[in-house]
Amino acid sequence: MEELRFFQTPAPHLKSPVSVPKIMFMVVVALIPATVWGIGFFGPKLTLPPLIICILSCLFFEWLDCKIFKKPVTIKDGSALVTGLLLGLSLPPGSPFWIAIAGGGIAIILGKQMFGGLGQNIFNPALVGRAVLLISWPKLMTSWYAKTPFAFPSIEQGLVAMPQGVDVVTTPTALTLTKEYGFQVLSQFEPRLLWRLFIGAVPGSIGETSVLLLLIGYFLLLGLGIVKWDVPLFFLIGLSCVALITGQNPIYHLFAGGTIIGACFMANDYTTSPLSFKGRIIFGFGAGAITCIIRILGGYPEGVTFGILVMNAVVPLLDKLLPRRFGVKSS
Amino acid sequence: MIGKLFHGGIHPPTFKDLTAQKPIKKFPSPDKVYLPLLQHTGTPLQPLVKKGDLVKRGQKIADADAFVTAPLHSPIAGKVLGIEECPHPTRGKFGAIVIENSGSQEDEINGILFQEEIERMDPKSIQNWIREGGFVGLGGAAFPTHVKVSPPSGKKIDTLIINGAECEPFITCDHRVMMERTDFILTGAYLLARACGAQKIIFGIEKNKPDCIEKITGIIHKVPLPTQVFPLPVLYPQGSEKHLILTILGKEVPPGGLPLDVQVVVSNVQTAWAIGRKAQEGIPLIERIITLTGNSLNNPENLDVPIGVRLLDLVDFCGGFQVPPEKTIMGGPMTGIAQVTLEVPVVKGTSGFVFFRENIVKEEYSCIRCGRCVDHCPMYLLPTDLFRYAEYGDFEEAKKQRALDCIECGSCSYVCPAGIPITHYIKIAKAEILLRAKKGGK
Repeated sequence: MEELRFFQTPAPHLKSPVSVPKIMFMVVVALIPATVWGIGFFGPKLTLPPLIICILSCLFFEWLDCKIFKKPVTIKDGSALVTGLLLGLSLPPGSPFWIAIAGGGIAIILGKQMFGGLGQNIFNPALVGRAVLLISWPKLMTSWYAKTPFAFPSIEQGLVAMPQGVDVVTTPTALTLTKEYGFQVLSQFEPRLLWRLFIGAVPGSIGETSVLLLLIGYFLLLGLGIVKWDVPLFFLIGLSCVALITGQNPIYHLFAGGTIIGACFMANDYTTSPLSFKGRIIFGFGAGAITCIIRILGGYPEGVTFGILVMNAVVPLLDKLLPRRFGVKSS
Repeated sequence: MIGKLFHGGIHPPTFKDLTAQKPIKKFPSPDKVYLPLLQHTGTPLQPLVKKGDLVKRGQKIADADAFVTAPLHSPIAGKVLGIEECPHPTRGKFGAIVIENSGSQEDEINGILFQEEIERMDPKSIQNWIREGGFVGLGGAAFPTHVKVSPPSGKKIDTLIINGAECEPFITCDHRVMMERTDFILTGAYLLARACGAQKIIFGIEKNKPDCIEKITGIIHKVPLPTQVFPLPVLYPQGSEKHLILTILGKEVPPGGLPLDVQVVVSNVQTAWAIGRKAQEGIPLIERIITLTGNSLNNPENLDVPIGVRLLDLVDFCGGFQVPPEKTIMGGPMTGIAQVTLEVPVVKGTSGFVFFRENIVKEEYSCIRCGRCVDHCPMYLLPTDLFRYAEYGDFEEAKKQRALDCIECGSCSYVCPAGIPITHYIKIAKAEILLRAKKGGK
């Protein structure tokens, strides 16, 4: 028999087919329904440039960082693509191109690469990008455009009449109006508000508006075993608890703003959420509760970004919670 | 009876169809055998024969003056060619007794037991009888059986579990043994129970082997002790002692403990067969059933082979390779060891060889903390943290995080989407922790 040479690798010699790029690709696929809705609802002119620039910016800055620090280029793992898409979806339609470039750069460089790259970061990169943009350019980041029939009247005009005439107008979001007038007044003015929030026919960020389509994407990932149910569920429970205690409508808070995209796609991020079930419950509940507290008491009408970022900071602590030990009866 | 699923575990593809229904074939007596002086967990053996000696089949040729060891017997009648350094499937090279077949049929038959004798013997003498047969756990770990069935004073054993889970993919030797060598298994199980003082016997068999469950259930009434068959859920690593006990009895072996801490002894089904065979035919552990399989082999088979036969002879017997394998593993693909050469002999712990046409490689990425390893770890560990402690050499922290609890089943590496050899890192951490404990102790 001729001389044979064999590969020498440690056990196990079988590997499951799931891989990092496949996971990232499936997350992108899950976000496509909400993305397509955003593009159609706000119009390609307002949405495609920020989305595309944001994704390209994330890929570019990751490539640049790897080159500068002489590391292997990691953009093929797909995580920069996911960060770019998530950040793009959380920008207001009509954001200027430089907002998208700056956001992508901050998200990748400050949010991820400075910590050591994929899997090392403490904070969700897309949310780091968004938070910096929100603090640095608050006016731009809270100027919302929508097609006239779907816009809300501005605060100065009072809740008297819908804007008329031109194709696209600036408009407040439901959360801004709630902050000003309260949910009761708003729902009297627009009785179909909850339904409109559910399907996504409201002003807001490019990809956050459609509860229905975001949930479809999320359940796809859940069904494929890519994401878990615990963090989103406890996020929603935390949010609802605060809403109930403060006498607000919890359903409204679940549907409004970035709750669903935040709970299902950002809080549920692998790297920046805890490993153990106990930790994940506390993390999800805390992020949801802080989100709602900011909405009700804080200076911003929306609190998802900071709710999740605050809890991200607690994750290393929550990861000290070890699971039970095999062979030791839990007391 | 509990039937509880343990935490985690995985469902790898089993590939057992290749050989599950193929009856055991007897491998003809080989020209030469290579018998390493270490085929078990414990003290290496000293040869009792020298170059030029004539030995009979079944004659004891090596032993050691230690408790945790198992003597070695010649699987063929012939002449000792010498004691040489030879390839060893798990230790690179190791001293081995090489015996050339003389073609004669001289058997040394020793230790046949009739039912009345078994009843008369006390546990101690059964334990000695087992030791003299050179028996070790044939599931793969090769731990000397007489040690396993000798509970320290003060410890009582109430249950003997016969492990027929065979949860490793590809391997089907235990499946065939249960189907074809059932009588010996029952005798062996009874002897094991008598040796350790167990009052009942439970056979644990995975539900993907319904034929075995039926076969064993049909004849267990012959055992003079309360005996039952427990159909196990199909989940890797169900064959791990700790998880077998958890599923069948609902008891968890404490950290660092042994099954006897929960009054249980677990023995592989093929070990029971080998012991039963000695009782009925007087032949010690010189032959075993193995599975030769994989997509590179022409005719995958279950074979009855003498210990010490070289792998290349077995490959020839199975019709050679369709395609030369890129990787050869001794044992199952989840815990088995990659081989360097086909010149390795079958040792007592060899459950089979798997030949892969292609080495399955997964591109390595950074850990994304997805938590799959945590969810699938049957020991409730955080493998993602453990592998990093090992990577950065923080073995103190690895120890605090229970690295020693790891059973090295490979589930974490299997599910890792980043292709990180997590199990391997943890094995390194465990070895380092044990080494430091040894140094510190002296």
